[in-house]
Parts: sequence; structure tokens; C-alpha cells
Amino acid sequence: MNLALRLGAVLFLLAVWQVVAWLKIWPPVFVPEPLAVWDQLLRTSSEGYSGHTLAGHLLASLRRIVLGCLYGISGGVVLGLLIGVVPVLRTLLNPLVTFVRTLPPLAYLSLLVIWFGIGEEPKVWLLLLAALPPVAVATADAVRGVHEDYLNAARSLGARPWEIPYRVVLPSALPEIVTGVRVAVGVAYTTVVAAETVNGVPGIGGMVRDAQRYNQTDVVVLGIIVIGLSGLLIDYLLQTLDRRLVPWRGRHI
Amino acid sequence: MPSPDRRGDEPGADVPASGPALSSAPAIELRAVTRVYRDRPALGPVDLALPAGEFLTVVGPSGCGKSTLLSLVAGFAPPTAGTVLADGTPVTGPGPSRGVVFQQPRLFPWLSVAGNIGFGLRRLARAERAARVAELLAMTGLEGAAKLKPYELSGGMRQRAAIARALAPRPKVLLMDEPFGALDAFTRERMQEEIRELWRSTGVTVLFITHDVTEATTLGTRVIALAGPPGRITLDARVSEGLRDKVEAAIRDAASARAGVAS
Repeated sequence: MNLALRLGAVLFLLAVWQVVAWLKIWPPVFVPEPLAVWDQLLRTSSEGYSGHTLAGHLLASLRRIVLGCLYGISGGVVLGLLIGVVPVLRTLLNPLVTFVRTLPPLAYLSLLVIWFGIGEEPKVWLLLLAALPPVAVATADAVRGVHEDYLNAARSLGARPWEIPYRVVLPSALPEIVTGVRVAVGVAYTTVVAAETVNGVPGIGGMVRDAQRYNQTDVVVLGIIVIGLSGLLIDYLLQTLDRRLVPWRGRHI
Repeated sequence: MPSPDRRGDEPGADVPASGPALSSAPAIELRAVTRVYRDRPALGPVDLALPAGEFLTVVGPSGCGKSTLLSLVAGFAPPTAGTVLADGTPVTGPGPSRGVVFQQPRLFPWLSVAGNIGFGLRRLARAERAARVAELLAMTGLEGAAKLKPYELSGGMRQRAAIARALAPRPKVLLMDEPFGALDAFTRERMQEEIRELWRSTGVTVLFITHDVTEATTLGTRVIALAGPPGRITLDARVSEGLRDKVEAAIRDAASARAGVAS
């Protein structure tokens, strides 16, 4: 039922799109036909675009996202734990994290290019910087919100002070951390296209950028659709991970 | 240790000199203990000696300092003045010699029941730990629940698992903070029987906090009534016939005294 509804919605959108294209209100360079996009899907998949196949572009982008998120999430969890547990660090680092979080990633892309050149490094750094703050903030809040009964219970059961963070605090904070991770991956996803505006080929963002330069709107639209669909897939995977990792979410214990 | 004659409240009075197993110090002792939260006195001064093997219930209206008393004994908070001793040694923090059961079960939701019970057994070898966990599962009637997660248990089972977890490292003292307050009446009654059974079979010293007079007078071997804040012991009695009326009267007085202060 749900699936039928969703399929229906997609078909309806496609139909509207096709009708708008047929009416030629705007020239094809503004609104390409769905079939033209489909053709580009086949062509970029076999012949490639800017020297790489669609799969090659997508994999390059995903690789950056995965790397940036891995570094950003690991850093975010450690940083959040420190901020949550050590009051001095909270005072010192909280404003910094908030500062970075409110910056649009493009604002520091230029700086990263100056520092790291135009290879893979600035892109992964950009995604790292985009993914880290949401995880750090979520972790810090969750760590501070752990009910003290849990900490007291662990201490009464002989847990040593240095065991408490990883035996009790982090697992207690896991639901919020996983939510932070989902936000972080989302932010990284929206940032990757920006990261790839500078020497981004191979990469979906680079492909879109190139296509824009040559007014190949069908390729641009294809790139956008591919980014959106892969994002949906990744969020679905993260939701599955969430259910497996924190099955107690939302249940009163 | 069923020694019926413990009316003399001086535990060190005539302790047999022989037998290293018999410690002269009470399991828990409070000497002129007070606790002040910010500017508000919460407890004391309180003097209390709890001999090993006793089942003490602490009863009083809510806010009288019962939980403060427990957290001082557990080592969660230091006394503002005075000394808390466990087995003759000053309490400096929480430790496995004093197991705690909270009002809410507070099981670790990411661990199974067996994992929760084994939490305090980290330093045992794997086989030993498994044996001890199995023993506790049997003692608390949770044999079939070893692999379940806390959110898959009923309220009574959760609290049983919490008791098993607290008992696992063989604490000398079991501290219970209104552990059955959140349970339905039927489950509560069963849990009361079970905790008495556990106390008898393990010989653990119990300090049990409640605001329920019936629970206080039926469960333990000794009752103290607390009035406050700041909490002071207004009654310290061995459980006997007719005690319930006395305790009820003490609680009524404490409650009306507070109402008088408040108005």
C-alpha cells in the first residue's frame, strides 16, 4: 500500500515533468525531457562523462563521503565525550564547535584548498569538518544527560573511573550519537557537491559542474537525481543500523 | 546469623575474641553524620550501627532524608560532617562491598540480563563468571531470561535482575532505595517475599528504604523511622508484635510536625 503510494507519487512527478517539457514553456536547456535524462543515464553509464562512467563518479563521491564521515564521526564522538565529561574542555571547545557548525562548509573550502591543494585531501577535510560538529554536539549533550543512577550503579559494581566512559557513558549515549551520525552523513552528503566544485572529477559534483559549464542540463539533472537516490539509500542503511544498534530507543527502562 | 538477643545496642560490647571471621565492627556505622545540600540541611546528625546480617528498614515521609542516608552509605556523596564506616573502614566512595538497588531498575539497556548480572564480575575468569551469573539467575527465578534485553522484561523481572546484578559481586551490604515502589501491588508482595528469602539464603546485610509503613514493619528485623528534613532518627526498634502501630504513630507525628513547619 505504502509502496504503491510512493510509486504513484514518483510516476505523477515524472508525468508533470514530461508535460512541462512537452509544452516547451522553457527551452530544453532549462527543462530537459525525462527521456533525455534517461538517455544520459545510459550513455554516462556505458561511455562515461568527463572520462569516467557514472558509477565511477558516484564511487569517487561515496569514497570521499565515507572517509570524511569516518574521520568526522570518530573525531566527533571523542570530542563530544571530552566536552561532555571535562568541564574545562566544555568551556573551551563548545564555542569553537558551535562556530564551525554554523559556518557553511563552502566558507572554508577556499582555505582548505590553500592548505591542502586541489587533490583528495581538501575534499575529505571539508567533509570531515562538516560531519564532526553534529556528532560532537549530540555526543556531548547525551553524555551530560546520562542519569547518574547508571554511573552510580557501575561504580557500586566495582567499575574503575577510567572504565566508566566506555562501559557506561558511551553506550548510554548511543541513541543520541546514532541520531547525530545520521545528521552528519546528511550534512556530508549535501557538502560533497560543494567539495567537488574544485577539481572534482571524478565525482558526482564534478560531473554536474562540468555539465553545467557546457549547458548539458540533462546531465546536471541526472547528477542531482543520482545524488538524491544514493542519499535515500544511505539513510535507509543508517536507519537499519539504528534499529540494530539501539533496539531500546524510545522504550522506558 | 540468628542471634535473637541484640537488645544491647553496643555492638562491640562482648564480641568473642576468637574466630577471625567475626568482625567486631558493624557492617555499617554512622557517627554523628550530617549532610547539607547547598544551604539546606538534609540529614542528621545521625548515629546508627547496623550489625552484619540485619535487615534494617528505614521509613519516613518523602523528603525526610532517607535517600540521602542511603547515598551516604553507598558512597555516592560524602557526609558534610561525621563519619560513615563500612566494616570499620571509612567510606570514601562507591564499591562492590555495598550493592545498590535503585527505585528504577536502571539496568544497562545495551546488555542482556546475563550481561547486566555479570557487569560487576569483570575480574572473574570467564567460566567462574558464567557460573556465578547462572547461580544468580536461578536465585532470582530468571533462568529463562538470561539472553533477554531489559526492555523485554516485565517490571518485576527487571527489578529482580537489578537485585541479581547488585548481589553478583557478593556485597556485604545490600542497599535498596524504595525498590518496589514502582511495582503493582501483587508483584510488590511477591518481591517482598523473595527479598526476604534472598536475605535468609545469602546472609547479606540489608538496608531497605521505604515510605510504606507496612513494608517497613513486615520486611525487616529492625525499623528506624526518619523525620525531617534534616532527617533524624525518631524511632529505632526491633520488629515485634504491635510495632506497626508505633511506627505509624511516629510517621504521623513526623508528617504533622512538617506540616506545622510548612504552614
